[in-house]
Amino acid sequence: MSQWSESRPDDDFYRVLAPDGTITADPPDLSEDVLRRQYRTMRLSRRYDEKTRSLQRRGEISILSGSIGEEAIPIGSAAALEPDDWCFLTYRQTPAMLYWGASLERSIAGLMGAEPETIDEHLPLDDEDAPPVNFPPVYVPLAANVTNAVGSAMADRFGDTDAVTLSYIGDGSTSQGDFYEALNFAGVFDAPAVTICHNNQWAISVPAHRQTAAETFAQKAEAAGVPHERIDGNDVLAVYEGTRRAVERAREGDGPTLIECVTYRVDDHNTADDADAYRDDSQQEYWAERDPIDRFEAYLRSEGILDDETVESIGEEIDRRVEEAVDRAREVPDSDPQRIFDNHLKTTSWNERHQREELRAELEGENPFTDFTGEGL
Amino acid sequence: MSAQDYPESETSEINLVTAVRETLAQEMRRDESVRLLGYDMGPIGGVFRATENLYEEFGEERVIDTPLSENGILGTAAGMAMRGQRVVPEIQFLGFFYPAFGQFMYTISKMHERSGGEIDMPLTVRIPYGGGIKSSEYHSESTEALFIHTPGVRVVCPSTPAETKGLLAASIRSDDPVMFLEPKSIYRVGTEAVPEEEYTLSLDDARIVREGSDITVLTWGAMVRHAVTAADRVDADVEIVDVRTLSPLPVEAILDSVKKTGRCVVFHEARRTLGLGAELSALINEYALDRLHAPIKRATGYDVHFPGHQTEEAYLPDEQRAVDAIEAVMSYEF
Repeated sequence: MSQWSESRPDDDFYRVLAPDGTITADPPDLSEDVLRRQYRTMRLSRRYDEKTRSLQRRGEISILSGSIGEEAIPIGSAAALEPDDWCFLTYRQTPAMLYWGASLERSIAGLMGAEPETIDEHLPLDDEDAPPVNFPPVYVPLAANVTNAVGSAMADRFGDTDAVTLSYIGDGSTSQGDFYEALNFAGVFDAPAVTICHNNQWAISVPAHRQTAAETFAQKAEAAGVPHERIDGNDVLAVYEGTRRAVERAREGDGPTLIECVTYRVDDHNTADDADAYRDDSQQEYWAERDPIDRFEAYLRSEGILDDETVESIGEEIDRRVEEAVDRAREVPDSDPQRIFDNHLKTTSWNERHQREELRAELEGENPFTDFTGEGL
Repeated sequence: MSAQDYPESETSEINLVTAVRETLAQEMRRDESVRLLGYDMGPIGGVFRATENLYEEFGEERVIDTPLSENGILGTAAGMAMRGQRVVPEIQFLGFFYPAFGQFMYTISKMHERSGGEIDMPLTVRIPYGGGIKSSEYHSESTEALFIHTPGVRVVCPSTPAETKGLLAASIRSDDPVMFLEPKSIYRVGTEAVPEEEYTLSLDDARIVREGSDITVLTWGAMVRHAVTAADRVDADVEIVDVRTLSPLPVEAILDSVKKTGRCVVFHEARRTLGLGAELSALINEYALDRLHAPIKRATGYDVHFPGHQTEEAYLPDEQRAVDAIEAVMSYEF
């Protein structure tokens, strides 16, 4: 049985950029605009994470999981999608939405605890402002999204559309039944579903070698008859190119793919976690040298696509954009407590009407327990 | 509320499982987005033959034989429903549902609410439930309370072929997720004249099976017929309410009946503690206590695992248990 090394995983994977940003394989055919957009989104995501974390420390945001150090995975892969494709996220892939132009202020308002209806009311989104890729609400239960994503892909296959559905999980999620069930359905039904696994080596405090005795997470697809690939997850160009190939196969009717992106969770699992309790910081230097933004920036500079001036102006623009978004999110008023009753079913029931009335009474200082006939308060 | 809202049309004499099959076929013909999903549904037409011949008529992409995976069935059905398909997954027996609770709780019941109403989940999960067919372990569950306790889903339970047709059609056309519990012990017990034309029944109302003035029996599914035969044996004018939409509960119809009669028996197949009878009894306590002439009694299964087939008759409520409960409540006066 193999033993994983979480700190220095086997780098037998597909890679385009070496850690120093030099080319090790043919780079994908991307325009300078797209390359700059990927870079800008990586910087924006990093800033967004830093800012929301500071808001969490100040009590403006509840518990939070970030993407620091893993930006290449959601951005490289989401960049391989096309308008009208579908993308089922968990909490660590906000950068995928940002790549497709999702509203920063709406995301931050959500983190601040506003109900979706309140966000729609106070930060409305015109159709032309909506991301052209479809993003269902972010999933929290592990691997539940993959099963739904495969259902989404099955709908497209049965409906003869050419849309592709992408979904993301972490290494811990591959221990869930949902993961295997999803891949199994995807294989059986040739679903145009691409699943990306962030192997960031840690499921909160449990290391990757406690998730599986398999040599790779990618090979878990073998049992479902699904093609699989292992990619350097800190190399945005490799993630893009690997996903592009999988998306293209799916779009052409050749079925699903599982991609393991090897990376490292340099940060805590979330703001309630303390990674120092279960790992030492000797790994930090190794992974700092593999930072996906630094690596990509070095490449873009070497290609003449970025220089000091553009790097600085992107930084300034991002700082301004994030601060504006926080200000706008802060202007969203607290959600009306009655919203907790919204959108459960398409009709109201006796119980819903009565419980709304009880909550209203309680909020207004009345006694909500005075109905003895069922006729109402 | 009280009269059967069935249309005037030609009828055919069919049993309950045939009503399921004909309604599925009807809905699949009228709406191309209706797809069935489950295992053993294709060439053999389901272990209860509820999908017989549908595979031949609609093909493998609309009657989809899946891997043997309840959570996978519900999870992919949820994904298809999110994408505008009107999906009708089948769980072969309620006792096989439990692996699917993850997708049931995480996505099916919650996606509409957590998307702020943006995403609909138009799926109807068909599940044969209940005992009385002398089956093996895990094949006789009546744990509908687990679904009823979950917000964001409807729970519907028909009791006759004609009710099955109208309630199943309404469920499939509903944009809410519906847990549709089929009382398998009466799949083939008797036939009735069911209108051939399309109709739907309200998912927000009870059915008054028979009007009476002395005592209300609240019941549903396979127990309704025992309540009816029991009512003929007792010295009381019994009103029988087929609750039929177990969630959300048709509270007004329930309270109206109990306030009129002043007595109530809840008659259900599920085990008693925290079964739906507990909720019904509590509702009546909160809103109609002063109209009661006697305590409410719950004639139910016992708080045990569903027994083997040699002893299941002792577990299952039947006509006699209903008679005893009605007579006991009639004999008491506050």
